Amino acid sequence: MQDQHGLVKILAIESSCDETGAAISHNDSILSNFVAGQSIHQQYGGVVPELASRAHMQNIVPVVNAALEKASTKLSDLNAIAFTQAPGLIGSLLVGASFAKSLALALNIPLIAVHHMQAHVIANLIPAQKPAFPFLCLTVSGGHTQIVLCESALSMKVLGETLDDAAGEAFDKTAKLIGLPYPGGPLIDEYARNGNPRRFKFPEPQISGLDFSFSGLKTAILYFLQEKQRENPDFVRQNLADICASVQDRIVSILLHKLKKAAIKTGIRDICIGGGVSANSALRKSFGELGQAMKWNTFIPPFEYCTDNAGMIAMMGYYKYLASDFVDLSISPSARAEW
Amino acid sequence: MELVFELEELPEVAIKVLDAMSDHKVLAIHGAMGAGKTTLIHALCLAKGVKDHVTSPSFAIINEYQFQEGASVGKIFHLDLYRLKDEEEAIRAGVEDCLYSGALCFVEWPDQAPDQFPQDTIHLFMTTINERSRSLKIQFPG
Repeated sequence: MQDQHGLVKILAIESSCDETGAAISHNDSILSNFVAGQSIHQQYGGVVPELASRAHMQNIVPVVNAALEKASTKLSDLNAIAFTQAPGLIGSLLVGASFAKSLALALNIPLIAVHHMQAHVIANLIPAQKPAFPFLCLTVSGGHTQIVLCESALSMKVLGETLDDAAGEAFDKTAKLIGLPYPGGPLIDEYARNGNPRRFKFPEPQISGLDFSFSGLKTAILYFLQEKQRENPDFVRQNLADICASVQDRIVSILLHKLKKAAIKTGIRDICIGGGVSANSALRKSFGELGQAMKWNTFIPPFEYCTDNAGMIAMMGYYKYLASDFVDLSISPSARAEW
Repeated sequence: MELVFELEELPEVAIKVLDAMSDHKVLAIHGAMGAGKTTLIHALCLAKGVKDHVTSPSFAIINEYQFQEGASVGKIFHLDLYRLKDEEEAIRAGVEDCLYSGALCFVEWPDQAPDQFPQDTIHLFMTTINERSRSLKIQFPG
């Protein structure tokens, strides 16, 4: 099914949560990667599923057309269609899955089901500077916090993950507690730039192994704020930068302590970070410093491949294509995903 | 019915809550941020024999877990309506589908869409007494 030059073109669709994405890959390079601007979400605050699934239906055709056009690719050039099959919001996944299945049927080309969290790991193989197998990836986002051991594109293992809240949720809920608007994570990063990260001490959870916990931190911040506000109702406003810097410092240190532990335990030196929270400036800085100290080769994909995107689905699709790992039309999307 | 307990007692509390639920399938858990709703649901799922990680669905809205129920596999929905704005959005997100599916449902922030709940929903109100202890009031339907 590859053309006479052995080249593989894949159209990938991502619709697991709030973003509708489409991308075209040509072997292991991404020719185009589009995400529909769903500004309605910001207007309404948060990922609103009702709007999300409707918006996916409105966005999917224009986004696919944009991706094809930018990549100068015709539908008839495609060798396969890849789509996010799991995990995610079922209503949102269904839109992408139905579209991908219909198109694969119409074009009579293979259909490839992709695990969204595995694709976040494989996003690290998109840039020219790639980690070597085996590598470790810390994926941090609003809904996930995981350390994954990637032995090959098709063989991954979760070494540790959050037992309660995700790191991105810890940022967003802290933001809510101190009265910042949605999305709170980036705002905490912004205020923290002018703050003292050692001013307030928040506890590091005592979780054995490589798993994470952020729920206790959230509660500790809540009690801390309540106590301080009893003494001084204006406490948050007067100390905003230091609060943000101190909370951020703790979240980052929780993440990196476990990543360091995983690297020592496995002896692996190629270490990656992915997911939307990788945009956080303190995480990037501390990760770079830790990497230098530990003599790691560190990788963070460009931001467009860190947030939910179809480029990473295309990349995963490419490796599955090479392994002839196809699915038939009876496949259905799933909220849960096994590794 | 009211229970006052320390966090260490959660496993026993979970068993009491499940006993109190009897045949009821939907448990709506009210409480402020940090009251321990997700932690309680974690304990409830453990008591049911769930092996999956029970994590906060604030972002995902709906988590689905499995447990062994005799010879078959049972299903538990863990919902978090925190981000939802109204009833309409809850329906579109698939909340109603879960609540009337006949599967066990543990729901955080139920006030975001109060009309979605079946009549026989059990409501549970969690309040913080101090850092280590919580109070649980269980309200039965009707």
